[in-house]
Amino acid sequence: MKKWITTLAASVALALGLAGTSAWAQGSGTFRYAEQVKLITMDPQQQSGSGVPFLRPVYETLFEKSPDGKPVPLLATGYKVDGLDVTITLRQGVTFSNGESFNAEVAAANINRGVKLAIIEGLKTVASAEAVDASTLHIKLKEPDPAIIDSLCYTGGMMLAPAAMADPAIDRNPIGTGPYVYDKAQSREGEVRVYTPNPTYWDKDKIGLARYEVWELPDDTARLNALKTGQIDAGNWLANPQSAIIDRTPGLKLIRGTGGLNYHVIISDREGTVVPAFADINVRKAMAHAIDREAFGKAVQFGLAEKSFQPYGKGDWAYDPALEGVYEFNLDKAREYMAKSKFPNGFSFDMPSIPIYQSRLEALAGFFKEIGITMNIVPQEPGTLARVSRTTNFPATNLVWATNTDPKFLALRYIYKDAAYNPFKATPSEELLSLAKQGLESVDIGVRAPIYKKMAAELADEAFLIFVTNTPILIGVSDKTANNPTVVYRFGEDSINLRGLKAND
Amino acid sequence: MLRLILQRLLALVPLLFIVSVLTFSFTSLLPSDPVDLIIGDNGTQEQYELVRERLGMNQPVVVRYFQWLGKAVQGDLGTSFFNSVSVMGAVMQRLPVTLSLTAMSALIAILIGVAAGVAAALRPQSWVDRFATLGATFGQAVPNFWFGLILVAIFAVNLRWFPATGFTPITQSPWEWLRSVILPSIALGTASSAAIARQVRSAMVGVLQQDYIRAARAQGLSARRVIFKHALTNAMVPVVAVLSFQITVLLGGALIVEQVFAINGLGTLAIGAVRQQDIPMLQGLVLVMVGLVVVVQLATDVVYGLLNPKARPS
Repeated sequence: MKKWITTLAASVALALGLAGTSAWAQGSGTFRYAEQVKLITMDPQQQSGSGVPFLRPVYETLFEKSPDGKPVPLLATGYKVDGLDVTITLRQGVTFSNGESFNAEVAAANINRGVKLAIIEGLKTVASAEAVDASTLHIKLKEPDPAIIDSLCYTGGMMLAPAAMADPAIDRNPIGTGPYVYDKAQSREGEVRVYTPNPTYWDKDKIGLARYEVWELPDDTARLNALKTGQIDAGNWLANPQSAIIDRTPGLKLIRGTGGLNYHVIISDREGTVVPAFADINVRKAMAHAIDREAFGKAVQFGLAEKSFQPYGKGDWAYDPALEGVYEFNLDKAREYMAKSKFPNGFSFDMPSIPIYQSRLEALAGFFKEIGITMNIVPQEPGTLARVSRTTNFPATNLVWATNTDPKFLALRYIYKDAAYNPFKATPSEELLSLAKQGLESVDIGVRAPIYKKMAAELADEAFLIFVTNTPILIGVSDKTANNPTVVYRFGEDSINLRGLKAND
Repeated sequence: MLRLILQRLLALVPLLFIVSVLTFSFTSLLPSDPVDLIIGDNGTQEQYELVRERLGMNQPVVVRYFQWLGKAVQGDLGTSFFNSVSVMGAVMQRLPVTLSLTAMSALIAILIGVAAGVAAALRPQSWVDRFATLGATFGQAVPNFWFGLILVAIFAVNLRWFPATGFTPITQSPWEWLRSVILPSIALGTASSAAIARQVRSAMVGVLQQDYIRAARAQGLSARRVIFKHALTNAMVPVVAVLSFQITVLLGGALIVEQVFAINGLGTLAIGAVRQQDIPMLQGLVLVMVGLVVVVQLATDVVYGLLNPKARPS
């Protein structure tokens, strides 16, 4: 009897103990998010495109963006940038979901791995990282980088457990410090990723869900139907007919997040090596004035895009309202510029196209035709546009730019002689070069903002980057999600902040 | 019969070899490059070369093919170019999904097709016959993806009777499995049911005019017995051949219908692999699909032999 009572007491104590351990981390309910891209890898440091919503439940970053877009500490507690030296203090008492400790040594190993893999653009200025002590990380830069803390808010700052870094199958076995852990057994490859609460999470009160699911629904109509029927609570969209339907369907809401994509034309051959007309500033200005951005946004982007005349969107610290309308649609003015140029009778050039940009380019070709310029659209294989845009095969190209990207990347992509999208090695103007360098001298946004506003004005003046439209980040949600006070959309990102997120019901 | 099965299985070996050579050759001729997708828009030339080397893409096509073949004969179809997912694992995970969809579509096609065909054949030129003929024409003319979208709009989005997207494994919940495959199976099976209905009608009209049917009726056998035991069994012989072709069509059609219903089957996997140029995944998929078609044809020959003793190999 005594043995039986002892066993019973031990069982009850164990059960209570287990219940006590797990109750905090249970959360309740399920939240379902749909992603428009298929998951390629769950290794953040090898992640080269979309798909961050698959990573956020598991991986936390050293810093994150506050609702107004400023970097604030998450796994870090503070930072100091002094020239080429960046010192970051780290949160103590944090463990990865597999029990390994998070400390400066692990953080340094993460940064060094990211640098070695060289996929993440934001880490390209980093020379190396090392632990000063258990909670202090030192990053040595190769060149001044005021955006380094900003970069650590995204995949560059995601912290992987040492065991995950050593795992050749890390792309499907993520281990981080985040509020949820990846449940491989319940997930279905290519269909749905299931996440459950992380029992070792350092901020237990922020776990609000028993289960979080990310569905892979690349077909826009299927994703829309899933939202309409309540199979998902939210999902991300591009500007397309389906997102326009969400915008006008009762019971659904289209959230327009800060940031998004800026569609623009790049005159790569701006010194006229292959197409002499492109060296003529009057021609470039004529092209900029010939585009009816309003009609373009309505017809090609289903009314979900805004006119754009600069690289940054409204709400961004580098955005300059003074540039609004600088190249307003004005066919007379465009024709005047053409008449003033050395090419009054027009000319022709080739423009690379991928299927999703075909309708955009057909519209642009129509606008340019009005001023005597023939743009030949040359189809390319999907996925190759960025690559061909970095070659001299085409004198101009068209791309999108994420408007939440730090403005320093403008110079790295388009302005410097060795910029990625300056294949003809055009020499930048002294004014642009000087502004690009000044922009790197301070980490203070208050100091940098006027410099980049001047840069945007100078870019408008030189007109080799012709900005067309800005499409905000679009997240389609049900009414229940729209009215859920715990739903916080991440600044500049197509995902929901999971810390504190609770289910709709 | 056993000899026939063995002959077909042996013929599968050179067939798979030829298909693998063709698939490898054609994918190698494609102008786009999976390495671009792997390294992303900001990848450097150095990274590009490193990834090419890691994937073995800097080697001649012939060398790459024989390296792949060496592993394939041991049952290893390789791993995806983009992650650590094994090709065999990915294919085997999705195979039951596509087979579920195809089987349910075939069942719907047979039920509707045979019923409509028999009804039309029993009363040629009547309104039943005309209605069945019109329905068959409509069924064959309507694209399955469009029909699928209409079904979703009515029965999933408006009436909420069925889920709009996704697939529930039968092991998880047989009822939810049934709900998840009904709409895509109707979308997929309708065209095949039309083809089967036409074939059944034509065969039945011919059989019903045969002397032995007249004799059976004269012996006083019931109409049901005459139709289902004597007429339909013989009319089904040409129908089986059509059915074999239709199952192959259903397997192909599943590729599109899976997209409409966001079902994660072989079709979704194939489209993703084509978009990414995931050559190992494509290669594995094509081989499995070819194998499936051969198995379906073999099964058809067996059933054909059972229905028609004259067709059995000596």
